[in-house]
Amino acid sequence: MIEIKNLCKSFGDNQVLCDITETINEGDKVVVIGPSGGGKSTFLRCINCMEDPTSGSIIFEGEDLADMKVDINKHRQNIGMVFQQFNLFNNKTVLQNITLAPVHLKKMTQEEADKKGMELLERVGLADKANVYPSTLSGGQKQRAAIVRALAMNPKVMLFDEPTSALDPEMVGEVLDVMKQLADEGMTMVVVTHEMGFAREVGNRIFFMDGGRITEQGTPEEVFGNPQNPRLKEFLSKVIV
Amino acid sequence: MTKVEWELFLSKFIDAKGYQSVLDGLVTTIEIAVFGLLIGIVIGTLIALIKMIPKYHFAPRFFSCICDIYIAIFRGTPMVVQLLIGWFVLLPAIGLRMDSTTVAIIIFGMNSGAYVSEIMRSGIQSVDSGQLEAARALGLGYWTSMFKVVVPQGVKNILPTLGNEFIVLIKETSVVSFIAVVDITKAFRQIGDSNYSYMIPYLMLAAVYLILVLLISLGVKAMERSLRKSDRN
Repeated sequence: MIEIKNLCKSFGDNQVLCDITETINEGDKVVVIGPSGGGKSTFLRCINCMEDPTSGSIIFEGEDLADMKVDINKHRQNIGMVFQQFNLFNNKTVLQNITLAPVHLKKMTQEEADKKGMELLERVGLADKANVYPSTLSGGQKQRAAIVRALAMNPKVMLFDEPTSALDPEMVGEVLDVMKQLADEGMTMVVVTHEMGFAREVGNRIFFMDGGRITEQGTPEEVFGNPQNPRLKEFLSKVIV
Repeated sequence: MTKVEWELFLSKFIDAKGYQSVLDGLVTTIEIAVFGLLIGIVIGTLIALIKMIPKYHFAPRFFSCICDIYIAIFRGTPMVVQLLIGWFVLLPAIGLRMDSTTVAIIIFGMNSGAYVSEIMRSGIQSVDSGQLEAARALGLGYWTSMFKVVVPQGVKNILPTLGNEFIVLIKETSVVSFIAVVDITKAFRQIGDSNYSYMIPYLMLAAVYLILVLLISLGVKAMERSLRKSDRN
């Protein structure tokens, strides 16, 4: 579904991603783990070109997203993204946040989008918050609303950039539950996270990133049960209690 | 203020229908400031957005450079000079017929645009970059994302500053009589000129400006309050 070929990304002289080649298949739940500064978020952000790759290509639906001539906006409609800081639009109500893009991009009429938005909000338990502004929501509620906003576009892939890292410990569960539900429904997901429990339970492939490379990958059993890379062993010994 | 001065003033203001020209002048003053600011906001927002487009390509760099020149010219010369050049030089040169109030509105708008662009830029930059990212990630284009999400939040942040710009404009319109516009300053001056008694007309003129400015300040405060409803609470 997404083919990443020889992806490199540098910020000035600082090379953050080195020659990454990976294929993400339909239905995959890829969980990217690793130490800070290892390039996890940059890797994720390169997939939908929020960061333009320095070199390499991202093949999605037969087109190379890294090519500047490709209409990136068209492809981003099919790639949902959820951010660490939620990034709900502060000047719009929750429901307006959800319907803005589908209506503006003519994927739905306002009525259809409202209906779909309410259905999705119902599913994540936020139907009563449809008409309030994001500033009145808790962190967990904001993130659930942000997930709904991405889902309202009917994306084929969902990217999660540390979706629970900015949350109070108490609220992590409610967001992970929504993500698990999504995974069970067969959504293709790429998740950058520090939640090892989630990685083990939901992921079918784990990427361990360190120093801008995917230094080890495999099923959760392989990566967590029998790690090979010494850096991964060290990492796991610190994060898993 | 002697009794004679009052009598002279009232004879002009009431009996000779001086109030009519004062009212007309007031309308003209407000017209120039309001439409000037509106044009200024449009021009200023465009300049701010053009200057903020990532400059990978030649086109944004080129337009950004044009904007810099525009700002330099309009901030680097006095308003009066711009009015004079617009009215006596440019208008005849391009052979357009326009009434002087319209010219004043256009020049004020263009001048104000140069200032508003900087105000707008600071407002837009004060909006968290995640807002633009989230909009772009949904597949919305740069301009849509800016106009639907970022600019409305930026404008809210700079509303008090825009209010100040409006106040500055109102006061600066007092120079439009240079190009034969009869604004409120000119109207009061005509009353004074008619009998060489200036004290009362000019003090009243000052009072009118003061009241206008105070009213605008109140209006800005009210607007800020109503926009704050989507803020943290």
